[in-house]
Amino acid sequence: MGQTFAQKVLARKAGLDSVMVGQILTIRPDKLLTHDNTSAIAGNFRKIGVQRMADPSISVIVLDHVVPAANETYAANHKTVREFVAEQGIAAFYDVGEGICHQVLPEKGHAWPGAVIVGSDSHTPTHGAFGAFSAGIGRTEAAAVMATGEIWLRVPESFRLLINGTLPARVSAKDVILHIIGDLRADGADYRSVEFAGEIVQAMSIASRMVLTNMAAEMGAKNGVVEPDEKTRAWLKGRVDHDYEEIFADPDAPYDRVIAYDVSTLAPQVAKPHTVDNVVPVTEVLGTKIDQGLIGTCTNGRLEDLAAAAEILRGKHIAPGVRLLVLPASREVLLEAVAQGIVTDLVAAGATLLNPGCGPCLGAHEGCMAPGETTISTANRNFKGRMGSKEAFTYLASPATVAASALTGVITDPREV
Amino acid sequence: MKETTIQGRLWVLTEPDGALYDDIDTDMIFHNRYLHITDVAQMGQYALDNLKGWEDFAKKAQPGDIVMAGRNFGSGSSRQQAVDCFQALGISAIVAESFGAIYKRNAINSGLPLVTFPNLTAIAAQFENGATLAINLETGEAVLNDETRFQADPLSQVQMDIYQAGNLFAYGKTVL
Repeated sequence: MGQTFAQKVLARKAGLDSVMVGQILTIRPDKLLTHDNTSAIAGNFRKIGVQRMADPSISVIVLDHVVPAANETYAANHKTVREFVAEQGIAAFYDVGEGICHQVLPEKGHAWPGAVIVGSDSHTPTHGAFGAFSAGIGRTEAAAVMATGEIWLRVPESFRLLINGTLPARVSAKDVILHIIGDLRADGADYRSVEFAGEIVQAMSIASRMVLTNMAAEMGAKNGVVEPDEKTRAWLKGRVDHDYEEIFADPDAPYDRVIAYDVSTLAPQVAKPHTVDNVVPVTEVLGTKIDQGLIGTCTNGRLEDLAAAAEILRGKHIAPGVRLLVLPASREVLLEAVAQGIVTDLVAAGATLLNPGCGPCLGAHEGCMAPGETTISTANRNFKGRMGSKEAFTYLASPATVAASALTGVITDPREV
Repeated sequence: MKETTIQGRLWVLTEPDGALYDDIDTDMIFHNRYLHITDVAQMGQYALDNLKGWEDFAKKAQPGDIVMAGRNFGSGSSRQQAVDCFQALGISAIVAESFGAIYKRNAINSGLPLVTFPNLTAIAAQFENGATLAINLETGEAVLNDETRFQADPLSQVQMDIYQAGNLFAYGKTVL
């Protein structure tokens, strides 16, 4: 019997020939990702009574959640993180302005095929787009990893999702993954390792693959993964300066489920308030009035996302009464978007450019909603109250759908503008 | 050794229409507006205050109580405060049909027993607020009001070891 990606990568890390699903392993992860919550994690770390991190070279810290600090409390947290970084000698620290952790981590060479990455953020599965095993953990265990360099992991069951066909115009990775989450539900892949494969995935850019693995978290997945290929190697060239061993699932690996999707006739998809699996084709919510559009976040803040919005908004102007917030996912994305004129197109069309970071996605600052307001967002969560008021509404969609809706002031099919 | 059987008063988290709540996410359990709070003792008062119909849960809950919900309890963010807030209230266990993956890890590592009850939704009508539920964590055997028996999943060995030690840190000291 063959082995799944998760079995093979975890077995290798544990120094075993093979492992069984359900087996508990103690392994040494290659990277530990933490963000603004490093402040609380540092507090937990001190409680353990250890003075020095077991291996500071695995630690990657990115300040992204509330940057620049929105008030004194956040500022004090950031200061605590900087002091901890200096004290422990952590080299991979990225301060305010570098971008969102899930964009910065791979950009700076901390993700590669076959790596095991754990992070104290639920969207850590994003890095599976590079062929890594990447999973979210909590802050207590992040502190424990700092102290010991080790973590216990249960070898997960696996799903294999085959995405085939050809993507219609103005239908993107976001629409594909929203459709899948609507089909499988918010708990459809609980604890599972989800392998994304098929001709559409092979044809996708790295940025699009990151949309799939990022949102695997929204169906409960432990991790999402895409097999590395020539695109992966090209993207990582100049970023990862050491050798790595690519890991592929065996053809006869045991899966809980293998599900095939043909997306050739897929319409743009929208998740309605207040759950990510409340998904309908955009045609069912056309005309819903919006107050705000948001293009950015760890899901859809990359260059191709900003370009898709600019393509729709170039030379036009957003509707009166609508705010359109644009947050590039990183400094690198921002610089490239400036160089290509994309920022100019968006700002000239009425968009408000915000600094790279998480922004209003988690309701802390930079565009929270008042009671009764509606935002259409490229983010990955629309939980009640997530973006401010509990009486506000968040719809999730692709960058093209958000741009088209900002243009008209109501939810709009991007194929019609 | 801690007792391996937990007994407590039950809170059955139901929607306004009486159905067992599924997909209770971490923002419903501990809303993002409280994330700046770092003192666990202060977290209990906000538990479930963004869950419709359960805004006053923290005022009603007593130490030792058991919380019951449907599928995918604790989905969403990795925030550990969504576990800490129940521990601050002294909640002794959470019973659900399934849990969010990171939530489950957080609870295990904090020593809060999460008991998975397969097909709970199908038998949910038998459980009422205020009933007494006893659960043997080692065998998964559950007894409602000293009468009706149910079979839940037992805790895994690592779950049990960390629970017995108190939490992940204490457990780490026992194996180092």
